[in-house]
Amino acid sequence: MQTRRNFLSLAAAHSLLAADSSLPHFAPRAKRIIYLFMYGGPSQIELFDHKPRLAALHGTELPASIRQGQRLTAMTATQTKFPLAKSIYPFAQRGQSGAWVSDLLPYTAKIADKLCFVRSMHTEQINHDPGITFLQTGFQLAGRPSIGAWLSYGLGSENKDLPAYVVMASTGSKIGDQPLADRVWGSGFLPSSYQGVKLRSASDPVLHLSNPEGIDRDMRRHFLDGLAEMNRDQQSATGDTEIGARIAQYEMAYRMQMSVPELTDLSKEPAHVMERYGPDAKKPGTFAFHCLLARRMAERGVRFVQLFHRGWDQHRVLPTALPFQCAATDQPAAALVQDLAERGMLDDTLVVWGGEFGRTVYCQGPLTPTDYGRDHHPRCFTVWMAGGGIKPGVTYGSTDDFSYNITEDPVHVHDLHATILHCLGIDHTRLTFKFQGRHYRLTDVHGNVVKRILS
Amino acid sequence: MAHLKSIAALVTFAGVGLCEPLQFNRDVRPILSDRCLSCHGPDAVNKGIRLRLDREESAKGELSAGRRAIVPGKPEESVLLQRIQSPNKALRMPPAHTGATVSAAEIATLERWIREGAEWQKHWSFIAPRKAMVPSGQNPVDYFVRQRLAKEGLAPSPAADRRTLIRRASFDVTGLPPQLADVESDESYEKLLDRLLASPNYGERMAIRWLDASRYADTNGYQTDADRVMWRWRDWVVDALNRNMPFDRFVTEQIAGDLLPNATVSQQIATGFSRNHRGNSEGGIVPEEYLLEYAADRVETMSTVFLGLTVGCARCHNHKYDPITQKEYYQFIAYFNNIGEPGRYLKYGNSPPMVAAPTPEQESSLAQLKAAKLSADAAFRAMEPEVAKAQAKWEAKLPADAAWTSREKLNAELFPNPVAFDGKGTMDGGDHAEFGFQDRFSLTFRIKSATGNGVILHRMSEDEASPSGYGLHLENGKLQIQFAIRRLDDAILLESKKALEKDRWYRVAVTYDGSRYASGVKLYIDGQLAALDVQLDALNQDFRRPGKLTFGGGGGWENKFEGEIAEFRSYARALEPMDAAMLAIREPLAQLARIAPGNRTGIQKHYLRQAFFELGSNSQIRETRAAAAEAAKRLEEFSQSIPTVMVMRERTEPADTFIQLRGAYDKPGEKVDRGVLGVLEPLPVNAGPGRLGLAQWLVDRKNPLTARVMVNRIWQMIFGIGLVKTVEDFGSQGEWPSHPELLDWLAVDFMESGWDLKRLWKTILMSGTYRQSSTVSAELRERDPENRLLARGPRFRLPAEMVRDQALAASGLLVDKQGGPSVKPYQPAGLWNENGGGDYKRDNGEGLYRRSLYTFWRRTSPPPFMAAFDSALRESCTVREGRTNTPLQALHLMNDEQFLEAARVLAQRAIKGADSDTVRRIEYAFRLVLARTPREGETKPLRSMLAYAQDRYRSRPADAEALLSQGQSPRDKSIDPAELAAWTTVASMILNLDAAVTKE
Repeated sequence: MQTRRNFLSLAAAHSLLAADSSLPHFAPRAKRIIYLFMYGGPSQIELFDHKPRLAALHGTELPASIRQGQRLTAMTATQTKFPLAKSIYPFAQRGQSGAWVSDLLPYTAKIADKLCFVRSMHTEQINHDPGITFLQTGFQLAGRPSIGAWLSYGLGSENKDLPAYVVMASTGSKIGDQPLADRVWGSGFLPSSYQGVKLRSASDPVLHLSNPEGIDRDMRRHFLDGLAEMNRDQQSATGDTEIGARIAQYEMAYRMQMSVPELTDLSKEPAHVMERYGPDAKKPGTFAFHCLLARRMAERGVRFVQLFHRGWDQHRVLPTALPFQCAATDQPAAALVQDLAERGMLDDTLVVWGGEFGRTVYCQGPLTPTDYGRDHHPRCFTVWMAGGGIKPGVTYGSTDDFSYNITEDPVHVHDLHATILHCLGIDHTRLTFKFQGRHYRLTDVHGNVVKRILS
Repeated sequence: MAHLKSIAALVTFAGVGLCEPLQFNRDVRPILSDRCLSCHGPDAVNKGIRLRLDREESAKGELSAGRRAIVPGKPEESVLLQRIQSPNKALRMPPAHTGATVSAAEIATLERWIREGAEWQKHWSFIAPRKAMVPSGQNPVDYFVRQRLAKEGLAPSPAADRRTLIRRASFDVTGLPPQLADVESDESYEKLLDRLLASPNYGERMAIRWLDASRYADTNGYQTDADRVMWRWRDWVVDALNRNMPFDRFVTEQIAGDLLPNATVSQQIATGFSRNHRGNSEGGIVPEEYLLEYAADRVETMSTVFLGLTVGCARCHNHKYDPITQKEYYQFIAYFNNIGEPGRYLKYGNSPPMVAAPTPEQESSLAQLKAAKLSADAAFRAMEPEVAKAQAKWEAKLPADAAWTSREKLNAELFPNPVAFDGKGTMDGGDHAEFGFQDRFSLTFRIKSATGNGVILHRMSEDEASPSGYGLHLENGKLQIQFAIRRLDDAILLESKKALEKDRWYRVAVTYDGSRYASGVKLYIDGQLAALDVQLDALNQDFRRPGKLTFGGGGGWENKFEGEIAEFRSYARALEPMDAAMLAIREPLAQLARIAPGNRTGIQKHYLRQAFFELGSNSQIRETRAAAAEAAKRLEEFSQSIPTVMVMRERTEPADTFIQLRGAYDKPGEKVDRGVLGVLEPLPVNAGPGRLGLAQWLVDRKNPLTARVMVNRIWQMIFGIGLVKTVEDFGSQGEWPSHPELLDWLAVDFMESGWDLKRLWKTILMSGTYRQSSTVSAELRERDPENRLLARGPRFRLPAEMVRDQALAASGLLVDKQGGPSVKPYQPAGLWNENGGGDYKRDNGEGLYRRSLYTFWRRTSPPPFMAAFDSALRESCTVREGRTNTPLQALHLMNDEQFLEAARVLAQRAIKGADSDTVRRIEYAFRLVLARTPREGETKPLRSMLAYAQDRYRSRPADAEALLSQGQSPRDKSIDPAELAAWTTVASMILNLDAAVTKE
């Protein structure tokens, strides 16, 4: 067991005690997961949840029978009119499966047969901070472990030179970009060794990875040899075996100094691969660059790669901002799925795309022929999943004519979590950690695996 | 396998010998609690389950004809055992869906306990602690620890050598490595301890864990995560600890300092404890939801820190394990939800209620400035007879057509004659009246509207998606005032209750006091205060915009103005009511002056006096008046610069509190009053009002928890693990103490000593148990890996702040200054920006070298070094200390600028501080960090590194220069660069040693 999760956690003795030695609980369908988090709340109405009846109702009031007195964010709570706004972007059915995808996502449209669209996601959270915190940790307030920390705790790493949980963040339109917080990939009450390690686009992808100028790799080796010798001397003088663990962590750091630059060095990626991910793939810090890195990490056995892309918060000027967001993410996300598939890795890699909530069918701010906006909407939104354990070419769940209420097969955030864990061979009711006297789970006391989307 | 290990560990610490009778609390309760109580516990009633295994009468009572869960002495008749062992899966307990199982060993324990008579005990931590007899002359710690060791057949370890012990004690008491002089003197250990406990560094060391517990930070925590100002509370904590304020006082002031009779500013600052939680300013939140979250956070923190109970579990339902009802949870909430705070916190800075919290230095400056103002005022008042005389003279000479309007702090003056607007065009008012949300300002004008609609004036930027700035606008005759960043959720929006009539001239004044609240905006119509409706009071950001003042249209509104505007004036001050009232005066100055002084109205007197000051007074009067104004201005400006602290301040009318069904803010149930937990003693007689009573209850001698919980956390600080390992949970699911009698003895002694923290520290640190060597044999390590039996001294990695502070102290870089605003030491560029959080503006100079206690804590991007070394993250109350060992830590220690700089400066110190002998230099550097001389096995690699590096840097001077360029502190140019660089690598190696980052 120690070898399985030895990255970052050798000394976390108390955590080893708590982990369930029976993990995985059953044969996993996916060995790893790449989660593309679209932060801000992408509009399901413009992207996936096609509502043709809105064309005729455009500009009319949202019927009270649909709204049902539902709570609104304080931003539109003072709004007196709720005019319906249709999507100004055309939709079409794609591929063999006939999934609806709008013209804003031409690349995603082309791989629709590989994806499973869940149109009936819902949450209770109507604001960004609690919304993303809920998606990431199963609870709306800070303090609980993120899904990646749970997986890192439960399954450990497959690569002894890279972390089990790696995070990358890119910015979007910069109009209404929601700030991120480190705790979103934090370990909550789990030992801190399970937190996500952020890979940065700066010169040091991992904080302080590089030796300072003036100390080269040979000198660092000499340094580490001497340090280990002194530490071993200390171990024999004190009997403290924890010292052995520290020596091992320094060696791991030394290996990371090679493995991380090797990971982020795209010079050996063939031109056709680079092209597939789009022009941004050459620019560090972009979503496209991160998608390509995600594939490289998946190849190297990183358990959970999570990409955060900000800027999906279209309260207004949606027609300017949303195409910009789509242009930055559509091609690389589709390329990632395609690339994994061609390498035979999609079978055991789970890819998830989605945000923290959806957007309202009614317009926020002025509704003009060329301009409109949408507020946060927790009652339905769309995520797509692909790969390990998930049925391809499926559209699951449906909403009413207004994309306001779910009419069929609701999937709660807890259900999504349960399903993700299931794909990785984990029974979500059995991955627990005792804290403050309670056996905590990612899914709290909720969650049902969505069996009908499993392959 | 891991599971087995944990059970083995449990047995070791519970220490059950086969011949010793079982104890319910130690041996049985943990099994029942963990496997059964989530259904058969305090919340069973809500699940329709009758059997309660947390209550003796139910557990042993009749379930149905003749069937009892537990029949004392008769395991075979006890349904509990039958159901746990049932071969029928459908009947077996616990049910499979719970995921819980009972092991064979646990079943054997239950069976034996029932056979031995099934004696029940009240939960240990709810029984008041008693002080067992300790033979005179024995240290109580040693007495209890050695009793246990003897039972286990173990002997204590020999005493640690002086150097190791003094280094250990220095870190424990002050958080800093020892001074070499302390280690090398022959001062007695006890005297040294007394000195350490008296050092101001003691308070800093103690405070940092208190800051973790009270989730102290320098930012608000949600979304934008902008700065707040709470450091005066942090300094209060350090100061109180250094003064060894009795702990009961320490608690009382922090929970209820505001309710103490004649509460001082210091006592109010103390209540910042309950305001350190995060505050949400995100647009669109529902304020009621967060008001409940804030109160819930206070209750959670209070109950974890003082009671060691997970009261928060009773928010949605009765507690599953402990006797805490949902109603009691909301009784606690009722103590903490009555301070009139906004649900949506201000994005920038502190949110009310708050107090000005001057430092002692500021207080004395303040006193001086107040005195100066008083005397300047007095001097001016003393001139009154002279002023009256001069004014009368001046009035007599006024020409018949004299007119006057105040020009004090006049900013702009436009349209002396009425200007007509046709409802189509706008008029450029020039670059005037540029004001922001912290400015005081006023806008006055005359207006006549033809339609009752349209834009009067604005200074809004129109190029943004949502216009921002300020503006005045008429709609159906009502005057609307807008200060906005985003009209939706970041604005002050006001509207006059009464409409202005069409085609009639009005004199209007709008004043704003810079407070950022709607209450700071006033509207005067014809000199009279006009009532306003507040449509939105949520201004978060500065609305100041470059550009122009525009009249008549634009600013994001559709309607243009039709009518006339005249005599526009803007002032860089908020006009006082009397000043605004003067606007209504229409008589010419000379006409007013003819009214006999005795017949003048108040406003007329004010008007004439002001006019006299501005137009007629002589230089002596003007100068005296100016001096008074200047003194007032200085006082005002200085007052503005004083830091504030968010505090608790009770509203006079308590808010109603309800049980919130399923914990949701919008599902109120039964109304509840304040009250304490029924399982503990009631409120003391003569308890003070509200929170004060609660505080008195917490520190009442009869409260069985507070003293134990505090003693236990201090034990954790010293030995790494509490006597009760679950420092946050003394309830049914918590761990049975490894040394219950010791915990109780220390808790009772703590209370009896007048809650003397320093005495408690000294008692523990004087013990032989503490002074043992931490060297461990393979056999003992196998037997007791976590050192719960204490057959050796404590040994574990230093907490984050000590790792860093040690490097600063050992190198001599440390700026050991107490208190003040938080500082921003080195951290890699861009970390804040990547999260969308603006720039981290690193300090220069002193701020780089302060103790880590003072490092600026941004919640959404915590200081990376602290986060990598397991610091509490300050999101919510954290009392358990975490320790991991990761490669990221290694990278920090090897490559982080602040550690490379410390290595260079340590190298300089070694080179300058010892003679040129290599070994003596190595020894000196080593001693500065580890307080001891290196062993041969340590000297050799350091010498080898030195030789290697000297060789390298002599041949590659550029590499040496590069390495030496780390950090801002000046480099000692008298040392050869290659030599200094080589020694820097040696010093870095020492700082990276396991021994260096370990308390041994």
